[in-house]
Amino acid sequence: MPIITVADASFGYNSADVFTNISFSVGKGELFCLLGPNGSGKTTLLDCILGMLKLRQGKIFIDGKDSLSFRAGRIARHIAYVPQRHERTFPYRVLEIVTMGRAAYTGLFSGPSREDKKIAARALETVGISHLRDRPYTQISGGEGQLVMIARALAQETPVIIVDEPTAHLDFRNDLLILETVGHLVRETGRTVMMATHFPNHAFYFKNNGVPTTVALLHKGGFLATGDPDEVLTREQIRMLYGVETCIVSCSTGKALELKQIIPTSTVPCGIDD
Amino acid sequence: MTSKNKIAILFFLIAPLFCIFLSICIGRYPLPLQVVAQVLWHKLIPGSAEIPEKYYSIVWDIRLPRAVLGAMVGGCLAISGTAFQGLFKNPLVSSGILGVSSGAGFGAALAILLFNSMSVTYAFALSFGILAVCLSYLIGRMYKTTPAIMLVLGGVIVSSVFSALISFAKYVADPYEQLPTIVFWLMGSLAAARYHDILVAGIPMVVGVAGLIGIRWRINVLSMGDKEAHALGINTTLTKMLVIFCATLATAGAVCVSGVIGWIGLVVPHIGRMLVGNDNKVLVPTSLSLGACFLIVVDTLGKTLTGSEIPLGILTALVGGPFFVYLLKKTKGGGW
Repeated sequence: MPIITVADASFGYNSADVFTNISFSVGKGELFCLLGPNGSGKTTLLDCILGMLKLRQGKIFIDGKDSLSFRAGRIARHIAYVPQRHERTFPYRVLEIVTMGRAAYTGLFSGPSREDKKIAARALETVGISHLRDRPYTQISGGEGQLVMIARALAQETPVIIVDEPTAHLDFRNDLLILETVGHLVRETGRTVMMATHFPNHAFYFKNNGVPTTVALLHKGGFLATGDPDEVLTREQIRMLYGVETCIVSCSTGKALELKQIIPTSTVPCGIDD
Repeated sequence: MTSKNKIAILFFLIAPLFCIFLSICIGRYPLPLQVVAQVLWHKLIPGSAEIPEKYYSIVWDIRLPRAVLGAMVGGCLAISGTAFQGLFKNPLVSSGILGVSSGAGFGAALAILLFNSMSVTYAFALSFGILAVCLSYLIGRMYKTTPAIMLVLGGVIVSSVFSALISFAKYVADPYEQLPTIVFWLMGSLAAARYHDILVAGIPMVVGVAGLIGIRWRINVLSMGDKEAHALGINTTLTKMLVIFCATLATAGAVCVSGVIGWIGLVVPHIGRMLVGNDNKVLVPTSLSLGACFLIVVDTLGKTLTGSEIPLGILTALVGGPFFVYLLKKTKGGGW
């Protein structure tokens, strides 16, 4: 059974529609990669699933239940969120930040229990940053900061994690580190990850590394295509989606899987794609 | 919990009591420690020893209520400041950000102009302080949710309106009787403290403080920003409203009996941050204790340094400023 089902969903601010009549479902233990140009509504769609925005029309089912039937805060026991850019304010310790992932399990007038702190410490271990636990998180690097956010989502112990452009401002290595961590979560802990990204190669990266991956292309308020990266990420689709001419190359590394990548070659002048 | 933490908790519990005790000894008429101890002991267990009426009256009727009220007011201002800084994700925010101080100031000035009665002044200060926050909240709510920036904006607008009204009240006040009263009220003082004040203003203060202590860990989560706090499973609108409600009760209760005392709600939280870190679970109770100690110390200095009393609003900054710089240097700012 799919863990998230979006049925005939539409959303818009005021009179302008952001997307209309979108339907799809995400299976358990799957990585769902959402691609689309700037302003195509990726973040808006994810916000609707997180319950921050209300659909104009249609329904979202989480684990088979209508998301509108969840009481305030209960969605947080099903879906965790890793923000695109976390605004750091007070110099909390890293462990304190990760412990906040337990908020959905604590009462209004209580704090995290000893057990909650243990869960947070385990989450730090899972993403491999236990050594940072007592550092002020205002003093760690961008890549480490993003790992802290992933650890916080893990501490939330949800079957689904929504990740919004997690590598948007990270360097070459940290970009890969985050992808490795996300891939590890899906493969080893069986979590479902929905990830918005600007890089089609991210989808290929997961596919190359044996993570069950689905790609959806969000374009002009609807899905251009959904499915396996190999079938969806073709030169034609990429040209339609981004207006970019590309080359898709693959090479074998001697291992079972072949490596596939998209290499952009030139932009297509605007207006040609339709 | 480590034993180091336990010692720290014990320290922050005992420190205000210690300050209260010392401040009773110090004054224009200094009292030896054992006399003060005897009087307090005598009150607890009647008939244990003979004590001159004079000592009894100084300790019990004058200095103890003043010290206790000072502790409560200082604690309330500091704890509300801490809560607001977390809520607004902004370290430059103080307990008066939503206009409670200027609202209360105007309420007091209005009461002084119209009624010339102490208890009416309290009531007016309290209600106008709360009214000001309600107005700020309504402005901040204009778009259904309550984003921090809109609340701050609402607070700034409401504060400036009430400041203007205070100026107007001063302008029309009788310059020989009413104006000095208004000006002294605005500078803050504990000199008039009586048990009655503690009881009346104590109710909103205790309710507000208890609420903030209860909800303190959620302030951590709120400081992650609305979107993240929501995704972490928090009803942000309700939680914010509760924090604002409690902080307002505490501050309004404090301000209505003490007048406007600046600085504590801004800087004492930072002293706390330097000492125990930013986790509101620890920081909120620490601020309460530090604010209490700080105001008692400042008030004791204010009543002893010169022949006449120095208003609190002046001394808090004069004493606190250098102390803050010293701590900044010593702790290297604690990660800012």
